[in-house]
Amino acid sequence: MTALTIDRINKRYGNLHILKDISVPIAQGEFVSLLGPSGCGKTTTLRCIAGFERPDSGRILFGERDVTHALPEQRDIGMVFQSYALFPHMTVAENLSFGLEVRKVAPAERKRRIAEVLSMVRLQGYEARFPRELSGGQQQRVALARALVIEPSVLLLDEPLANLDATLRDEMRFFIRDLQQRVGITSIYVTHDQSEAMVMSDKIVVMNAGVISQFGTPRDIYERPASQTVAGFIGRSNTIAGKVTEALGADSYKIETPCGTIGTLGPRGLVRGADVRIMIRPESIQTRRHGEAANASTSDENVLGGSVVSSTYQGNATQLKVRLPSGDEMVVDVSGRNPLAVGEEVAMRFAARDAWLLAS
Amino acid sequence: MSATEAAPRVETPTIGVGRIGPIWMLAPALVLLIGFFALPYLTIITMSLREASTRAVYGEGFTLAHYTTALGDFYIWGILGRTLLMGAIVTVLTLLLGYPVAYHLANSRSRWTSLLYIFVLSPLLVGLVVRTFAWMIILSNNGVANKTLMTLGLINFPLQLMNNPLGVTIALTHVFLPFIILPLLGNLQAISPDLAMASRSLGASRMRTFLKVTLPLSLPGIQAGTILVFVLSISAYVTPAMLGGTGGRTMSVLVVQYLVDNFRWPAGAALAIIMAAVAVIIVGLYLKLTARAMRRLP
Repeated sequence: MTALTIDRINKRYGNLHILKDISVPIAQGEFVSLLGPSGCGKTTTLRCIAGFERPDSGRILFGERDVTHALPEQRDIGMVFQSYALFPHMTVAENLSFGLEVRKVAPAERKRRIAEVLSMVRLQGYEARFPRELSGGQQQRVALARALVIEPSVLLLDEPLANLDATLRDEMRFFIRDLQQRVGITSIYVTHDQSEAMVMSDKIVVMNAGVISQFGTPRDIYERPASQTVAGFIGRSNTIAGKVTEALGADSYKIETPCGTIGTLGPRGLVRGADVRIMIRPESIQTRRHGEAANASTSDENVLGGSVVSSTYQGNATQLKVRLPSGDEMVVDVSGRNPLAVGEEVAMRFAARDAWLLAS
Repeated sequence: MSATEAAPRVETPTIGVGRIGPIWMLAPALVLLIGFFALPYLTIITMSLREASTRAVYGEGFTLAHYTTALGDFYIWGILGRTLLMGAIVTVLTLLLGYPVAYHLANSRSRWTSLLYIFVLSPLLVGLVVRTFAWMIILSNNGVANKTLMTLGLINFPLQLMNNPLGVTIALTHVFLPFIILPLLGNLQAISPDLAMASRSLGASRMRTFLKVTLPLSLPGIQAGTILVFVLSISAYVTPAMLGGTGGRTMSVLVVQYLVDNFRWPAGAALAIIMAAVAVIIVGLYLKLTARAMRRLP
């Protein structure tokens, strides 16, 4: 069931076209991240959903209900801000009580729900504290509790972890995700941090310059990026230019490159002769010293030869840059214990299912 | 090295920024305060305790007579009451008129905002006497306001708009508007717009958001602005002197009358001290009252 539908919304500020035909269907209970660099339109999209911005065209539906022209207070949303936006003149309990009082919840019921949600965010006993007496992480949990206590139909989160330090941020990712799954609330999460979107989301909307570059699961987006932009934005990637020489089944291809023929997966419908780029993630490449015995090579495995031009020790792994005969450089990861020296000839192996085609 | 062993201590220098520095830096302000505040006040207090004299500014001996006379005089009580009442009315009017302007200025992103800003400051850009004359042209019996109303047929006879408390109140409200708008504006601009959005996301209407979130958080600005306007209003001289007539006479006008017209310096000084004391008491009580309302603010 679709809990939230964003249907071809457009937004302009003067000559700036901020949102161009944004459409996203979101299922009940899903956690969807809007991911992109600053200025890509993700925050504007969130504000359109919240009702603080009105799209110039298009519709926003909560379930079957068209809320495009509803005021924020009529939408039944819970919102968490980067600045936490806790009311500084109210205690934790009063902050939580605010939305319940608006909804005319009886005092006894208010008290019960506040206690319940405070225990969910592990802040029992903090009722009488003022926000200024809490740490950043605690304030963020109060903000989350305040948004959840009203049991909204949609939870909107606007870069809620951006003001926290790195350790706390990692912890809060799992905390928010876990809480969201326990409550089962449909959530929309705005972030520019790809690893945050990756670990938290059911689906990710990758946005760039006001358009959706890709909408899919984290796995889709990482392994099957729709474009070079998406591939570049999410994780590290290598690309090699080539031409389609043969389509093997629906999504399997042979590509002619300056370094030889490479077998890959790719989107359906690429025709012979099409210009493409092959994308391979650094961690899916096995690198050995040239001539060293490898595991039995299979028919769908590709091998590229090259020489190491740089080696960067990173603790858990060593990152190598390898120059191909064509002049392209590839980034690969090798185990930290087995570094290959600069100048050494190496063989890089990767399976056809780990290579993906980007239309070029 | 044992844990108890202390690191060698370095003596903190006591000259320069250490201890003497900050006190030195108070000097200019102290000189100003003593020279232009403490000394004049002491002079006036002393003068108010001197006996009256017909030959000099004041006589030889000391007396409390000027205070007892003033405090026993219903006429003076009446003027004091009128001054305070007018001050209170001007304060409330500037708050009611100024708050929406400050609110708009704080929340507007329009390019006309800077124009409105200049408009708000405009009363301060014209000299006091010139501005008061302008009000006389508007408010007098055959002035702009009355002529317009009569031409429109709304009234048959001119309204008495000046030479009474009404004229003074109108003119003071105009000139003191910036003094409440500016502190309020600073206060309102410091309130994160996220707070109002959070309130609305929780289901509160614009009105409820204003009453429960914005208004309580702007109390410091209201406090500062109202004190400023009240103190300035009750001590204003030129405006009540020019627009007040006898019906709109205030304490400051009366004091000047005592000093300049009647040459009763000690009695006038006593009136000035009474007025200052009343103002201090009222502001003190007001601060205490408003502090209670603001005790939850950070």
